[in-house]
Amino acid sequence: MSTIVLDRVSVRVSVDGRTEPKTLLQELSLTFTERRIGIIGANGSGKSTLLRLLNGLVAPSDGTVGVDGADTVRAVREVRRRVGFVFTDPLSQLVMPTGREDVELSLRRSIRNTTERRAHAETVLDRFGLLRLADQSIYELSGGERQLLALAAVLAVDPEVLVLDEPSTLLDLRNRELLRRTLSGLRQQVILSTHDLELAQDMDRVLVVDAGRVVFDGGPAEAVRHYRALSAAGLPPEGLPSLGVPGTGAGGAGLAGLQQGGLERP
Amino acid sequence: MSGHGFLLATYSPGTSLIHRAPLGLKFLLVVGCGMASFLISDWAVSAVALALLCGLFLLSGAGPARLFRAVRPVLPVLLAIGVFQWWLLGAPTAARIVLNVLVCVVAASILTATTPVQALLDGVASLARPFRRFGADPERFALTIAIMLRSIPFVAEAYLNVRDSARARGLDRNPRALVLPVFITTVAFARQTGEALAARGLGEPEDPEDPED
Repeated sequence: MSTIVLDRVSVRVSVDGRTEPKTLLQELSLTFTERRIGIIGANGSGKSTLLRLLNGLVAPSDGTVGVDGADTVRAVREVRRRVGFVFTDPLSQLVMPTGREDVELSLRRSIRNTTERRAHAETVLDRFGLLRLADQSIYELSGGERQLLALAAVLAVDPEVLVLDEPSTLLDLRNRELLRRTLSGLRQQVILSTHDLELAQDMDRVLVVDAGRVVFDGGPAEAVRHYRALSAAGLPPEGLPSLGVPGTGAGGAGLAGLQQGGLERP
Repeated sequence: MSGHGFLLATYSPGTSLIHRAPLGLKFLLVVGCGMASFLISDWAVSAVALALLCGLFLLSGAGPARLFRAVRPVLPVLLAIGVFQWWLLGAPTAARIVLNVLVCVVAASILTATTPVQALLDGVASLARPFRRFGADPERFALTIAIMLRSIPFVAEAYLNVRDSARARGLDRNPRALVLPVFITTVAFARQTGEALAARGLGEPEDPEDPED
């Protein structure tokens, strides 16, 4: 397994109209050596930023991130060769019109010979059960097939570490299960963020991130309990306020008003 | 985004003479048609050229449906151009301009329908190789072409989606409600694509000390 070290890492971004930069991550010091690592937390808590640091997509404002000693800023090429990254939406990741061509694109730098490249792409697609869909447009594939294809395209170059940013968010139950099984069979070290608490339970170690800090770091069951408690504490006691219908003066009528009379055009 | 409004035909596997023709020859056909469109002054010649190219396309076995799908997205624009040119310069000139554009689209579609994208990229990369001595990176050049091919349908689809959303909100006559969201979506798409390429290590400058480059 690779060793990934975050040493006092902070990430800040400047936001238009504000003088103070916004802090996305605050002084994180972590070492990842486990085979399966999960990151859970609310939307906007800093999960994706933390993952992006590992592939050099985000540079730390302070501190350093190293993958087996390679700095993610100074040795970004080497880091990206070791760390594959899968995005939430596979369509933003798949560049070519068909699966075969996209996997071949991944292999362009490593295999110069066209015939060899094609043969290797077919082997990769076959491994993921995607060979029959190899020449189909990526737009004609189901969400699960696209996610598997994105995974195949990244794994084609055989990285040591696989980072996945909420990989199951856009998937239905069946495809989530397929993804879980696929991930569990990989030889790579896997680091993922997720809102799927079942997927989080498959991990060896789970971090709970809140407001740019790691507020829990440990076993999956405890981490999920911690996250549930944290989420429940943040809820308003009576749920969301009702919608008001403009012009009716019925601020509290909200959805009931919409259901009864609907909105009328002036 | 479904990306179905793809201008230029997608690759259709086959073993026809056109499939087997050297890539350079197919490139020359596209370039030749593009240049000829400036030189041809008789609409009848344009019509004959279009008929010949359609015949070539069908000979490849890619099928009339694929040909129609490749041409369809450009038809509304051509109709508008044709009507305008007819009013401005008369029927023969309007016909020539419209037919010449169609000649270029069909010629490009012959290339894309009979050549796998990877072979196209290899071709572009080898064409760009002589410019290496001036600092050009052939692989980046090829990747740029691939991204361009992918982006055309995306932008077309973004426009259609935004137009439908504007219609649903009764804003379809408001140009700002159409142009601004398409612009924002396209910029977001460009950023996402750039990020995805960076994450996969694609499009990075060549390292002279790297044996893989």
